[in-house]
Amino acid sequence: MANIVKIMEGFSFIPRSELNLLEALESQNVDIEYQCREGFCGSCQVQLVAGEVEYFAEPIAFVPDGKILPCCCHAKSDLTIEIPGGCHIKKEQ
Amino acid sequence: MFFGRSVNVSRYDVQKHPIFEKLIEKQLSFFWRPEEVDLSTDRSDFAHLPEHEKHIFLSNLKYQTLLDSVQGRSPNVALLPIVSLPELETWIETWAFSETIHSRSYTHIIRNIITEPSVVFDDIVNNEAIVNRASDITRYYDDLIEGINQYNLLGEGAHQINGETVHVSIKDLKRKLYLTLVSVNVLEAIRFYVSFACSFAFAERSTMEGNAKIIKLIARDEALHLTGTQHMLQIMAEGKDDPEMAEIANELHAEAREIFIAAAEQEKEWAEYLFQDGSMIGLNKDILSQYVEYITNQRMTALNFEPAFPSRQNPLPWMNSWLNSDHVQVAPQEVEVSSYLVGQIDNEVQTDDFSNFSL
Repeated sequence: MANIVKIMEGFSFIPRSELNLLEALESQNVDIEYQCREGFCGSCQVQLVAGEVEYFAEPIAFVPDGKILPCCCHAKSDLTIEIPGGCHIKKEQ
Repeated sequence: MFFGRSVNVSRYDVQKHPIFEKLIEKQLSFFWRPEEVDLSTDRSDFAHLPEHEKHIFLSNLKYQTLLDSVQGRSPNVALLPIVSLPELETWIETWAFSETIHSRSYTHIIRNIITEPSVVFDDIVNNEAIVNRASDITRYYDDLIEGINQYNLLGEGAHQINGETVHVSIKDLKRKLYLTLVSVNVLEAIRFYVSFACSFAFAERSTMEGNAKIIKLIARDEALHLTGTQHMLQIMAEGKDDPEMAEIANELHAEAREIFIAAAEQEKEWAEYLFQDGSMIGLNKDILSQYVEYITNQRMTALNFEPAFPSRQNPLPWMNSWLNSDHVQVAPQEVEVSSYLVGQIDNEVQTDDFSNFSL
């Protein structure tokens, strides 16, 4: 089942199921912080406004309540997220 | 976590905070040795750098050496005597151990690029720009270590030491501990990253790549260490471990925030010192200062502090790909950067190399 991911002050999209949430956001050219991509640095965290995610690996980084680590989860339901600093689209390279 | 019953048998079957065990496992899986990285091209790269870039490179390396000297030693000296959970005790040891690998890699780098390594090392304790910052870094550690010694020797209460009255109390020690952990977090999460930016800026221009490869491994470790300190600080602030600690975190909120801001200002001054003789391609005083503000904001929000600087986008977007541990080279044959790890291959084969070969 496809879930919709909505970015606050941005747009909505349907991620491909084989991508984790971080990769899904990157595939939409959304500018998002990342470092380790395996859940121990906490750089990529975003605010989860509504919906539910499923972690396929438990993150080691500290994740405050209400935030999620996109690098180790995917959408379990329709999501609304807020990217710190707002939603920016990467310029074409 | 701290100031409880002292640790006895190192047992990990019952864990109060299993996160530290996960951190230990991750850190162990990261094990690497500086000698694995080949630095022979860095030697000639360094010789060809203009003077002001040599200054940037060496000053940066000196500062990194200082930071890791502090971190390789101080968590053990300051935190082990007061820790009360075996899993946290082992994490602190594992953490400090990996910092000693970092220190050894700086010697490895300096030995490889310079004929007189002692000139560089001696300057760390003589250079005013470095010494100034060193005293701020170690101040909180020193305070805590002194306090713990007084407590162990004399116990709680008012005591006469060298003609001065000193009040020793557990609550006061907890305050010192909290501030120390904040300053450690600042060291790992801001100061280190400023120096990483300089190292990677060289490699962005395809020079000093062996050095960048080592720094990349160090950065991967530091990302884990700062996660560890963030966990400790959060567990404290939430009172999950010791309700008194939550009060203290609340009470010291403003002071902790000041530590972040003061460090950011100091790093900006350092940027000025680094680029005093000229900038390098891709990095100058202003961009590095913007990065300091950007990274400080990020680290402050992570710990629920109000960010201190106007929000901005990452001024050094290429940092992410350098810091990405996915790209850390684990197998020598999977080459990302042009200098190989172990076992170099000579790609230049001439016809006469086969001259004495017969069937």
